[in-house]
Amino acid sequence: MWIFLMIFTAFANYGAGIFIEKHTNTKKAKAGMISAVILNLALLVSFKYGGFLYDNINYWLPLPFSRPSNTLPVGISFYTFMVISYVVDIYRGEIKAQRSPLNFLMFISLFQHLVAGPIVRYSQIETQIQTRTVDWAKISDGVTRFCVGLFKKVAIANVAGVLVDKYLNTQLYEISSYEAWFGLVMFSIQLYFDFSGYSDMAIGLAKLFGFDFHENFRHPYAAVSVADFYRRWHISLGKFFRDYVYIPLGGNRKYHDRNIFVVWFLTGFWHGANWNFALWGTYFGVLMVVEKHLKGILDHIPRFFKHGYTLVLIVFSRALFYFTDFNQLGYFIGNLFYSKNDASSGILSDLTAHSLWFIAVVAMCIPWDEIYGQNHKVRIKTERVYSFARPIVNVALLIIATMLLVNSTFNPFLYTRF
Amino acid sequence: MNKKVNVICFLVIIFGLPVVLLLVPKSKHSIDEKRDLAVLPTFSRANYLNGTWTKQLDAYIDDHFPFRKTFISLTPVFNQSFGFHFNNDERLFVVNKSKKKVKIDKERENKDTLTYLNEFEESFSGSLLILNGCVYPLNGGSPKMAKSFAQMVNEYARNFPSLRVFSVVAPHSSAFIPVQKYSKYNSQNKRTLLAIKENLHDGAIFSDVFEELNNHSKTKLYFGTDHHWKPIGAYYAYVAFCKSAGFKYIELKDMIPKVKYNFVGTMYQYTKDPSVKDHPDTMEYWEPRVTTDAVYFGKTGTTKSIKSNVFYSSCSGGGTYSTFLGGDHPLMRITTSIKNGRRAVVIKNSMGNAFTVYLISHYEEIWVVDLRYSKQNLARIIKENKINDLIFAVGMYAAMSDGTIGMMRRLATQSGNYKESENSQDPKPSSSESTPAVLTEEDSLK
Repeated sequence: MWIFLMIFTAFANYGAGIFIEKHTNTKKAKAGMISAVILNLALLVSFKYGGFLYDNINYWLPLPFSRPSNTLPVGISFYTFMVISYVVDIYRGEIKAQRSPLNFLMFISLFQHLVAGPIVRYSQIETQIQTRTVDWAKISDGVTRFCVGLFKKVAIANVAGVLVDKYLNTQLYEISSYEAWFGLVMFSIQLYFDFSGYSDMAIGLAKLFGFDFHENFRHPYAAVSVADFYRRWHISLGKFFRDYVYIPLGGNRKYHDRNIFVVWFLTGFWHGANWNFALWGTYFGVLMVVEKHLKGILDHIPRFFKHGYTLVLIVFSRALFYFTDFNQLGYFIGNLFYSKNDASSGILSDLTAHSLWFIAVVAMCIPWDEIYGQNHKVRIKTERVYSFARPIVNVALLIIATMLLVNSTFNPFLYTRF
Repeated sequence: MNKKVNVICFLVIIFGLPVVLLLVPKSKHSIDEKRDLAVLPTFSRANYLNGTWTKQLDAYIDDHFPFRKTFISLTPVFNQSFGFHFNNDERLFVVNKSKKKVKIDKERENKDTLTYLNEFEESFSGSLLILNGCVYPLNGGSPKMAKSFAQMVNEYARNFPSLRVFSVVAPHSSAFIPVQKYSKYNSQNKRTLLAIKENLHDGAIFSDVFEELNNHSKTKLYFGTDHHWKPIGAYYAYVAFCKSAGFKYIELKDMIPKVKYNFVGTMYQYTKDPSVKDHPDTMEYWEPRVTTDAVYFGKTGTTKSIKSNVFYSSCSGGGTYSTFLGGDHPLMRITTSIKNGRRAVVIKNSMGNAFTVYLISHYEEIWVVDLRYSKQNLARIIKENKINDLIFAVGMYAAMSDGTIGMMRRLATQSGNYKESENSQDPKPSSSESTPAVLTEEDSLK
C-alpha cells in the first residue's frame, strides 16, 4: 500500500516543480517551494517519527489518541530527500522541471537505490533520464560493481554480523572490555560493508540501465580526521545536508559552530526515531567543532596518530548507534573502559578463526587508488591483470555469494531501516 | 572482448539458475534436513495481496534452489577458510531469528491460526556454540516463560485434583558446557527451572531434574551431534522424578546395557560443521527388565493402532534416537508386566522419549501423548483409564514457548477420540521429520 504514498509524493512534487518553474523569481515560487518541502517533511515526520513524537509528548502530556504504528514506508527517508532537493534546485534555478510525469516517477522510484540509497539528486541524472548510453563497457563495469557489492554484503558484512550478535547482543554484564571493543570493531566492519555493499550494488545495477550514480563511499576507514571520515562516508547524505541545511544556515561564514551542531543533530535523527541517534549526531557535532578549533595542532601531528584517533572515535561512536536503549548503552560504555570480567579466550579463537578474513577486510578498507595514483606503474600492471581476470573473479564472487545466501537465513541490509 | 565475456558470464548465471530451477525435478523431502520441502504455492489474488504467496514462493525457491545441496555442503568448508582452527576450537553458529520455515498443519488450519515448525527447528532456534565438535544452544531459558509453563501445569492440577501432576523439564545442554566461561548458562538454566518450581501451586509436583543432572555434570549428559539428551541424562531425570514421586528408582546395573555407535544427529544436519561430523556420538542405553506391549494410535480419531515394544533396536544412523518409543507418535499406550494398578499419562516432546522408557518399571499402563501431534482429548483418556499420575516430560524449549504451552493446555479440551482397532499391525519407527511439530515462529524464538 505504501506504493501509493510514493506515487502521491511523486505527483505532488512533479506539480510543485512545474509550478515553481512557472513562477520563477516570484513569491509564488518561494511559497510553492516551501509548501512542497513542508509537505515532504510532514510525510516523513508522520511516518518515520510519529511513534517517537507520540511517546515523548505523551510522556509529559497524555494524548487522547492511540500511538501511531511504527510501519516505515519503503525508501521514504531516501526519496523524501530526493524530492526536496528537486524542488529546491528548481527554485534556485539549477535544474529544469521535469515535464513528463512518467520520467519523474521513474526518477523517484529507481529501484536500484530506493531502499537504502545513495540519495540520487535530480541534477545528477537529469540528462540521463532523457538519454542514456548503454554499451558493453558500462554494463561490464556495472556487473563488476554489482558482484563486488554482493560479495561485500554476504561474505563480509553478514560474517561480521554473526560476531556482532555474539559480542553485542548478549548479557552485557558478562562481557569484558576486550569483548566490548571487539564487538564494536566487528559492528564497524558490518556497517561499512553492508551499506557500501548496497551502494555498490545500486551503482552497478544503475549502470546496467545506463545511469551513473555518484559514489557514496570513498574508503572511510582510511580517514585522518572525523571531518575527513564524513567526507568519505555516506557522501550523498553529507552533501545533501551541506547544500540544503549547512550552507543556507550560513556555512562557515557565520554561526559556524551552531551550523555544525544543527546539521549533525539532524543527521543523527535522520538515521532513526530515537534519542540515541540524536546523541550519536551530537557526538559528531562536538567532535567536528573540537577538530575545527584544534586544527592548528592536529595538522602537525603525524598522519599515523591522526588516523588512529579517528578510528578510535569512529569505532566508539558505533556504540551510540547500536544501542537504542540508554540503560544498555550506559552499561556497555562502562564496560568499554572497565569490566570485572576476564577477557574471553573466545576472542582469540574468533580472531584466529577469522584471521585471513580479517586481513582481507583490512585490505579492502585501504584506499589503494589513492596510494597508487592514476599513472603509477603498480596500478597500471594490476589493472591490466585484473582486466583480464575480471570475468573469472566476478563469477567466483557471485558463486561464493550465492553459496552463502543459499545456506543462510534472512539478513536484511542495515540501512533499509533508516 | 573481455567485457563481453564478463557480461555474458554474469547473465548466464543470473538467468541460468532460474531456468535450472524450473527444469530440474523437485524432491518432496530432504533426508539430510529431516523435513518436507516447500511446495510450489498456488497463486490467488487474495494470497498475493496479503503477501502469503510471495513468502511461500520464496520458501519454495529456497528449498529447491539449483545445486542447493552442493552449496550447503560447501559453505562450512568455505567458512573454515576464513582463518586457522585449533584443536580446542569453538565457534558460533547463528540461527537467524527473522526467517523460519513455517508450515501450516492442514488439519488445524481451519480451527485456529497456529503455525507449525518441525521438530528439527523447534529444538535449537537461537545461537549455537560449536565446541570441539559438540553443539550447544546458547540459551538458558526465561523465568518469565517458566511462569507461564507452571501456570499451565497448575491448571491441570486444579482441574484434575485426583491426579498427581509432575513437572519434569529438561534443561538445555548449555547448562553443562565443559568450559568455565560458559558457566553462566548453567546458572541461567537453573534460574529458569527454579522459576517453574516457585510458580507451581495446587499440588503440582516439581521434579528437580537440573539438580540431579548437575550432580553428574562431569558425565556427558547430552549428545554433541544431536539436540537431545543422552539416555544417561534422561536416566538422571528419571531418578529426579522417582525422588519426587516417592518411587525407588531402578539402578543402571539392574537394567540391560546396550550401545549404538556413530550417531550423527540433527545438530550436524543443521550446522553442517565438519568438526561435528568428525565427532559422532556413541549412545549407551539401558533397557529395564520389564516386558511391554505398546499400542500406537494415529493422529486423530480411530485410525489403526499398531503393536510394538518401546525399544527399537533397529534404529541407527541419523535416526538412532528413535530407538526410544520408535520416535514421536501422537498417542501410544504402553502396557507393562508390572501389575501394580498404577497408570500414568506422559505429555512429552521428543526429549521425553528417552525418559519415558524408564517409567515402565513403575506403571502398569502408560499413555504417552505427544504434545505437538496428538489431537485426542486428554481429559477423556484420564477419565476412561483411571490415570493416577500426569507427567509433563518436555525439553526446555517446549516449556519456554507460548505456542507449545498453549498446545499442552489445549490437549484437555480438544475433541479427538482414540480407539484401538482390531487389526493391529507391526509399526515402523516414526521420524520426527515426517510429522509436523507445533510452534509458532514467534514462539520458537524465545
